[in-house]
Parts: sequence; C-alpha cells; structure tokens
Amino acid sequence: MVNRLMGGMKLSSDTAQIQGNFSQIREDATTVYERWRKPQRPRIDVAIDTSSLANGALATSNAIEQIANDRNAAIDLGQNHGYGMQWLQPLVTVTWPNGTSVIYGPVNPDDAALIVDEATGRSGAASALAIGVLSGEHTEIPSIREHPFFAQEPEQRRLIARIGLTDPEVMEHYIGSGGWAAFARVLYRGMQPDGVRQELIDGAHGGRGGGGFPAGVKWNFLAGAPGDEHYMVCNADEGDPGAWVNRVVMEGDPHLLIEGMAIAAFATSSKRGFIYIREEYPLAVERMEQAIRHAEAAGLLGDNILGSEFSFQLEVVKGAGSYVCGEETGLLSSIQGQRGQPRIRPPFPAAVGVFMKPSNVNNVETFSHVPLILQNGHEWYREYGTEAMVGTRLFSFSGDIPNTGFMELPFGAPMQEILSACGGVSDGAELKAIHSGGPLGSLVPASAMPTLTLENNSFTPYDAMMGSGGIVFVSDRTHLVILNEFISEFVEEESCGRCTTCHGGNQRMTEIFRRIMNGDGRRADAANLKLIDDMLQQSNCVHGQFSPKPMRNLLQHFREDYEELALQRRDPTLTLPGMTKFRVANPRDSKIEDAVAICPVNAFQGSVGARSINDDACIGCGACTEVAPGAIVREPKQLEAASMPVSAGS
Amino acid sequence: MPLETEARAELRALVADFAPNDGQLMAALHRVQHRYGYISREALEVVAEQLEMFPAHVYGAASFYDEFRLEPPASTTIRWCSGPACRLENGNGIRDAMLAVLGFDDLGERTDDGRIEMVNGQCNGTCEQAPLVWVERPFEHERRVVGKLTAAEAIRITREIRDGESIDGGHETVF
Repeated sequence: MVNRLMGGMKLSSDTAQIQGNFSQIREDATTVYERWRKPQRPRIDVAIDTSSLANGALATSNAIEQIANDRNAAIDLGQNHGYGMQWLQPLVTVTWPNGTSVIYGPVNPDDAALIVDEATGRSGAASALAIGVLSGEHTEIPSIREHPFFAQEPEQRRLIARIGLTDPEVMEHYIGSGGWAAFARVLYRGMQPDGVRQELIDGAHGGRGGGGFPAGVKWNFLAGAPGDEHYMVCNADEGDPGAWVNRVVMEGDPHLLIEGMAIAAFATSSKRGFIYIREEYPLAVERMEQAIRHAEAAGLLGDNILGSEFSFQLEVVKGAGSYVCGEETGLLSSIQGQRGQPRIRPPFPAAVGVFMKPSNVNNVETFSHVPLILQNGHEWYREYGTEAMVGTRLFSFSGDIPNTGFMELPFGAPMQEILSACGGVSDGAELKAIHSGGPLGSLVPASAMPTLTLENNSFTPYDAMMGSGGIVFVSDRTHLVILNEFISEFVEEESCGRCTTCHGGNQRMTEIFRRIMNGDGRRADAANLKLIDDMLQQSNCVHGQFSPKPMRNLLQHFREDYEELALQRRDPTLTLPGMTKFRVANPRDSKIEDAVAICPVNAFQGSVGARSINDDACIGCGACTEVAPGAIVREPKQLEAASMPVSAGS
Repeated sequence: MPLETEARAELRALVADFAPNDGQLMAALHRVQHRYGYISREALEVVAEQLEMFPAHVYGAASFYDEFRLEPPASTTIRWCSGPACRLENGNGIRDAMLAVLGFDDLGERTDDGRIEMVNGQCNGTCEQAPLVWVERPFEHERRVVGKLTAAEAIRITREIRDGESIDGGHETVF
C-alpha cells in the first residue's frame, strides 16, 4: 500500500537543495521579523480584524495617523490582530525599540493623542488605557498573561501564539517566527506521508469541527483511496451563530492554516485544495487569498514546492450565505457549483468527494494545529487537555457577560472559572443556561456549572454537545424560549429542503414556539414537540438530525419554565411581547412625550397629561420604557391558563 | 444563440477567465454580483455558457444561496443581526420596531420606492457590539456596523434612513 502511494510522490533526491532553498527564505524573513519586533523607532499597531472594525478601528487608525503626521512624530504605524479582549476593542499595541510591546484599549479617536504621546516618549500618558504587556518588560504595567480574562489559558498560547505579535498580512512575520519550518522539514528530511499521519495519530489529534474524529485516521482513508487525484478541503464555513474561532485563525494567522493544509496534502497525496469560507467573513477571505498569493510567490505553494517534487495548488471558495454548506458533503456540492445540498452517505468523501474524486474535509483549526504538532512532537501536544480530548482549542464567549472575546483553552477547562474570567453574568442577573454548539447544539442548565468542563464527556450527561467553539451564556433576564424560536426558525430557513422531516419539522416547531410565546400554549404542545423530535432524527444529514436537541433540552432541563410559559401562560421575564402589557403608570412624568414621539406604531392615545397605551397597536418593542422609564411599566397580560384537553389529540 | 448586445459582451469579458468543470461557479457569480449588485437573467446565461452548464443549473444553484440576488438591490440595506447575543439584548424588539418604522410586515421587504430593504443577517462574532445591525450601500460597497443599540436608538436610525438622511453613527467595516 505504502509503496503504491509513493509512486506519485517521489521526493527530490536533493534534500540539501530543498533545505537550502528554505534556509534562504527563512533567513530573509527572520531579518524582517526581528526589525518588526525591535523597530528602529516606536511603532503603533492598530488591531485590524472583524471585531476591531465593528468597534471603530478605522476611525482610530485614521486619528492616530493624522496626529502622527501633524506632529511629524518619529514613529511608524502598523497593524496586528486583536488579542482576544473584544469588549476592549479597538485595541492598539505600542512597540518600542527595545522590543517591549504594550496593549491599550479601548482606544477611540479621542484617545489617539495619548497613544502618540505614549509612543513618542511621554511615558504614562496612556496608562489609563493600558491593558497589559505583550512582550518585553514594563515597570508599571503587568503582563497580558496575568490579565483575568486569560486566567484559564495555558501559560503560553500555542495555536494563536502569533496573535498580536505579527502583522497577519506579512508572510515574513509568519516565517520569521518559526512558520513553514514544520513543512520544510517534512520535505528535506524525506519524511514519508504515512509517517506524518502517524505523528498525528500518536498525538491523538482530534478534529475540531465538533465531532472530534482523529484527523490522522481520517487522512488514512484518503491516502488509501484509489487514483492520484485527491483533494484536501478546509471547512471554513463557520456558520454557528455565536462561534467565531475559525475567523480568528484566518484573520490572525492565515499562513498557519495554509501550512497545515500543505502538510495534510503531502500526507494524503493531494495535489489540490480548497478553503471554503463563509461570505460573512470578507476580511478572512481577503487575508487567506492574499496569503496564498504570497506563499505561491515564495515557492511554498504551487508546483514543485521548495524545489521538491511535491506540488499543491490551493484556492479559496467563497460561500454565499448558506449554513448547510458547513455540512461537509453540502460543502463539497457547493465547491462543485451545485446547490449546497448534503449528499447521502455512503459513499463518504474519502471515496467520492469534490468532482466525485477522493477528498478529505477538515475544520480550520484541525489543519492549523498540524504544523505545531509536527514541529513540537506529539508529546508536547499531549501536555494539555484530557484523556478523551487532547490539546487546546479556541473558544468564543458571548451572551449575557460583560467580557466578550476569545480564548485558547485546554480541553477540560472548568466552565465556572471561565464565566468568572468573562466577568460573571451581566447586571447581577442569574445564569439560566449555557448555549453551546450553535443551532444544532444544546442548552445546558445553569445547575451544571459546578462540574461542567470544556470537553464532550462533560456535556453528554445533559444530552448536550460542546460543539465547535461557540459558548453563549444566557441569563434569566430574557426568556429562554426566545432562543428556541430563533434556533428552530434558523434551522428551517437554512434547511437544504431535501428532507420534509427537516424543513417541515422545524417549520412546525417554529409555529408551536411562536404560539406559545404569544400566550397561546396548549397542553398537547409538549407531546407534539416530542413527535417532531422523533421525526427529525430520520433526516438525511446532521442538520435535521441534530436540530431538535435545543428543544429537547428545553423540555428536559427547563421543564418548569416551559410549563409556566406554555400552560400557566406567564412570562416572568416580561420580555415576550405577546404576553406583556405596557402601561402608563405616571402620565405626568416629564419624559412621557418623548415616549410618545419614539413609539414606532403611534400606540399612545389620549391628550397630553392623560396618555395611555392602545394595547392592540403596541408591538412591545420597549422603546418607550427606555426613554421614559419612570412613566411606563411592563406588566403581565392577564391570560387564562391552558385548559385540559377535552379528548386525546385535541 | 441570443443576440450579442453590449451588455452581454461586457458580461462575457467579466467572466472570460473562468473555466468549465473546475469549481468556479461560485466565484463567477460573486464577481458578477460585485460588479452589478445582482445577477441578471442575462448574466446567468453568460455564466452558463462560459462554464458549459445549463442555464437552469446555474439558476438552480444561484437561487439556492441567500446572498446571491437575482434582482437589483435597494440602495440601502439594513441587515439585522439574528444571532443569539443580539437576541438576548432585545434583538427581536429592535427588529419589530425597525420593521414598523419602514412599514414592513417582515424581513426581506423593501419600500415602495425601492430605496430601502431590511434583511436577515447572520452572526459574524462581533457580539461585543450586540445588539447590532449593518447598514449597507451595496452599489458603493459600503457597510457600517451600528451596534450597542436600544430599541429607541434603532427607531431613530431607521427614521433617518427612511427620511433620506445619512447616518453618522456606527463604524465602517469591510464589505
């Protein structure tokens, strides 16, 4: 088997030549990168990533440039990727000639002068904005590694070690900080494809897409597939709302993914690869495409990589807003220019993939760990994690927490400590649930917190799954059913339409949730939801099969909340418009006319001083209570409890 | 063979470098939409010819994906983020209020003059700005994130957009 595989993959006998080629590239890159880390004059890097842009990084960057120009300041300007504290964006890093880098944030345009002051030697000018020292030493500012948000991260980051320390658009920074060395060594040491795969199997490197299937084993399937036309495919269609860990890798260290894919291609005799990126990540698309062009120009992608006989063509395919293309066979269909409908398996992609040829699909992070494992060895990789799940992975945290952002965490990290790192639950509310794994994921009850850890086994007892990195903390301020309705509608909208169980079942589920939210729950609803659950599991792909889980979790773990809402028809959170009444409690409040003016549906009636709200017109958006909190109150609508069924099936 | 018009020749030049049977349909459709704001019937035909596909196949694929438009876009699109973090911050109330200001019953509608459209948007992980909307001008390739909204603020912004004023809030981002 191995010999037959080797037929198409003979290495250049002149490994010294390959090594020489790479040494030259690395030497040049190292010079560039050292100058970046210890610049001749201070440099201000504004984080440019999807998060920073959403927080105004362009305006900040322009303001800094303006002031630096006006003062003719002896500094340079650059960019990096935000370190992880998204609630403190826009983040800005100042690096001095001695190599010390300090992260500041949030740096708004008004703060630009302070940052320029700080960079040009007025030490302490921006100290109120200082978050932590990224590298080097500083007498007054603690290391970023001591920041409470990163308390659960390993001492040193691994997968995202370069974040903040490089400009992701400069390939030399990647190579100068150790990048491409793993792949170059594979080539010049004459490593064989099966040896590469074995290293990953020894490291127990599990896929990061959610399933956790060992990557090396999966690659064995492709390596053993007939023919010499094999394809290596990266699933970067990260569509789970609330998960953005692949985005961080692609925007923050794009060459890491490319190197991982090149190694995967070598290990499976693949000559061509695709990275399928969701349309909602335009910056990731831009950076990946640019990184591929740079790698090609340097001879690290394309024909005869580094002068070896190994060739690998890599390209980006941009999706167009279809969640189900994140299902690996839907993704393969989409690459081929078809509707992104998941296929019926078997045959599996290792036999019939892109263009009906043997293919392998892995997640962004699965590939990105590969150079690190080859570089540092599988024992190093096993230093973190649990017995069942080895290593670290990226997680993104959002919801009812003050500190939104991403962390690289060992599998098995304790959820309670992570919630603390995220600043606890916002506004002193109580935690209600942990929403993990996106719409095909789970709703875990808050009572799980004391023992819940970041590994699949910890979620399983709750009929739940950890998923692919997105964790949303849900408080008791909002009714949980809002998420159930969102999820079932999402799955219905994003269904490919093949299975009636999937698109019809989720449509029915959405209708039931909407009726319940509208104060019209029925006793038969729970049984009907159970029926939908059973039916959905007969769908062809995971999109339909996994979709009832959050609803099932609602009935399993939040039964009292469900019954209070559906049967007693009471919403204790007063956040469901169909069950909440807005009433003018103080018609003489000074802000009441502001409320009248803001109402989008003219629901206020009566004259000035005697205003009241027309319940039929009110849509319950809450704008009036925001502008006139002293004038208007929310009250439960008086609804009758659901009656007992007259007969079975009513 | 349909009549060769100037528009058709331009389309043909636009997609001339795409090859058949090579996984390039998505890229070709994206390029057309980037250039014209949507994918016309004529464009579907030209892409089909270039890639040696049936027009029905190209239409079938293009119509599957939410982000491929087969009609010209409105000059302003309000893209409401439907993600979980936004939902927990009165995202539904903000959606309903904005729809009411524009006189819409649901997402996906546009004003009678065709100027403004409001559509469903997907989470891209800038949840620190939740709840948020994106205000887009597709013809100018401009997109602004307007975040940390309240229902009242969302109503004000929507009224400004409806009344033709340019909004000064929010942050410029990549389109």
